[in-house]
Amino acid sequence: MNLAVFVKQVPDTTEADLAVAPDGRSVRTEDAPLQLNEWDRFALEEAVLWKERTGGALTAFLVGPEEHEDALRRCLAVGADRAVRVWDPALPGQGPCAVARVLRAAVGNEPYDLFLCGAQAADDGFGLVGPLLAEELGVPSATLVSRLEPLDGRVRCTRELEAGWGEVVDLDLPALVTIQTGINEPRYVSILGIRKARKKPIDLLGLGDVGLDDRRVGEAGSRLRVVALSPPPAGREAEFLEGPPDAVARRVVDLLREKGGVL
Amino acid sequence: MPRLTDIDGNPVADRYELTACLQCGRCTGGCPVGLRSPLNSRRLLYEAVVREDGDALVARDEVWDCTACRTCSDRCPRQLDPATVIREIRTLKIESGRIPSTVMDALESCLKHGNPWGRSRQRRTAWAEEVPVRSVEDGHESDRLWFVGCTPAYDPRCQAMARALARLFHAAGYPYTTLGTEEVCCGSEMLRLGELGLFEELLETNREALRELEVREVVTTSPHCLTALRTDYDLEIPVRHASEALADLAGAGRLPLIREVPLRVAFHDPCYLGRQNGVYDAPRQVLSAIPGVEPVEFDRCRERSLCCEGGGGRMWLEGLGEGERNAQRRVRDAADLGVDAVVTACPFCLLTLEDARKTTGLEDALEIVDLAELAARSLDDGADGPGEEEGS
Repeated sequence: MNLAVFVKQVPDTTEADLAVAPDGRSVRTEDAPLQLNEWDRFALEEAVLWKERTGGALTAFLVGPEEHEDALRRCLAVGADRAVRVWDPALPGQGPCAVARVLRAAVGNEPYDLFLCGAQAADDGFGLVGPLLAEELGVPSATLVSRLEPLDGRVRCTRELEAGWGEVVDLDLPALVTIQTGINEPRYVSILGIRKARKKPIDLLGLGDVGLDDRRVGEAGSRLRVVALSPPPAGREAEFLEGPPDAVARRVVDLLREKGGVL
Repeated sequence: MPRLTDIDGNPVADRYELTACLQCGRCTGGCPVGLRSPLNSRRLLYEAVVREDGDALVARDEVWDCTACRTCSDRCPRQLDPATVIREIRTLKIESGRIPSTVMDALESCLKHGNPWGRSRQRRTAWAEEVPVRSVEDGHESDRLWFVGCTPAYDPRCQAMARALARLFHAAGYPYTTLGTEEVCCGSEMLRLGELGLFEELLETNREALRELEVREVVTTSPHCLTALRTDYDLEIPVRHASEALADLAGAGRLPLIREVPLRVAFHDPCYLGRQNGVYDAPRQVLSAIPGVEPVEFDRCRERSLCCEGGGGRMWLEGLGEGERNAQRRVRDAADLGVDAVVTACPFCLLTLEDARKTTGLEDALEIVDLAELAARSLDDGADGPGEEEGS
């Protein structure tokens, strides 16, 4: 099976002091180290498991500057055969439609059977690039896939819906799936593994190479434009619970019941 | 199927001369987790020699139970090195990518944040806010580097070790500088978990920082950093543990230990300080310099000290199934000795013993305290009196 996985490098904001950047439309992330988007880790692992199971080849795609190449090295280290990075000075600031257009162009005419994306990205969280890319490719898609099984010429996808519901859909190949976290257990990528992968080349493509002009990408080619960003207003209520641990625990359970949504 | 080979394809049996093993049982007989874990160095060594299917050894999860205390290797009459063979198997597991998720988190955090605790680099010096600390980032230069270590820098309990040490150094006018937020994990545990590539990256970063500062001596808070920098880094400069520095300062009369600390205490020898670095006397010299402290010895002390199970990356692994943990046995022994406190000099021992104190219900009976913490209680520094610095 000929597989393609699409990945993104995002800032790890777990411990970062987040602030709105001076442009008022983005988040300052200089202090946050970069990492492979969490959903993409699962998409990559799923792609590698499929490659191991069915044979064939795996290509990894990324839209991003050179400092994002580590994500592709990880893909190569765990079993991708080829990696493609697309970058151009016109690309920063583009929305999901433009990203999907660039990725579609990067895929070219190569006949892939299965395209895998993470269900969303940890930075902007749109969850749109996958389904938009499927449209661009003209293939059926399923989002938030939590289980993926091979059928003859098709794949069976179990999708995670709201409130604990699931949906099973069969897609004819070629198809695109966006992967939900928890579908598998991503393997550790060792430093020696990444070092060995440095010997594998990464294809660098510019806009001209993929046949796009700068009016169809970046901010100019985006249908969605972030106008302003602001931090949520600080909450008004915080209650400190005091007393012996068992009484505090009981009060916490009561509060969770009262406020709803958890228990 | 081939016999067990290392990541470069060399047969492990040849590389570590395992055919010389007598199967005498000295290694297994000294293993601190042998009673509760299927980990058995005799079996691993035997199978590395005879078993045709090396992958089956790599599939064994019990290699994660090893605390890398090196008792097995120290006890081997043929000078074989079972501890390193276990590490080789861990490396093969790491390269396969199939490792416990807690270990994965620690390793990835080290690469991303320079510490195994998932904390940001910017917060590395948060412990130092209320104590006098000399860091290169504040323009303090010295050819002596105090390597603070990740756990004393980030762990809320262990930050007290670093704060106490800062107060003692200040009171003694002891010159040093720290790397501040530029310090990264020493890699001791990453090496022992088998992540050789990550260890090399951390080593290079720290070695470069030391070279730039033209450091001539390193003092470490943790015996694990001590082992990494002294043994694994090959630095060609002296690397000493904080207890050795404190013993020197106390011996020279430079530590103003004035207040009575009326406590009966037993010193728990950390494996990485005692057995692995031969530092037994320095912490005891510090204890005897604290007025009011009455030191007593555990039955198992010095070379025979009982491993707390915190080494070899075990801080990021689940505990071993059933049965009493060594740290629990240790605090029970301490209670039997009738001491007020167990004193140790290692952040991992401090954490495992603190846990054991709580899980054995001895929380009110005794305290677990770091050597520097105990000494700092004896300082009459009001908060912190000004310390004259030697040579400045």
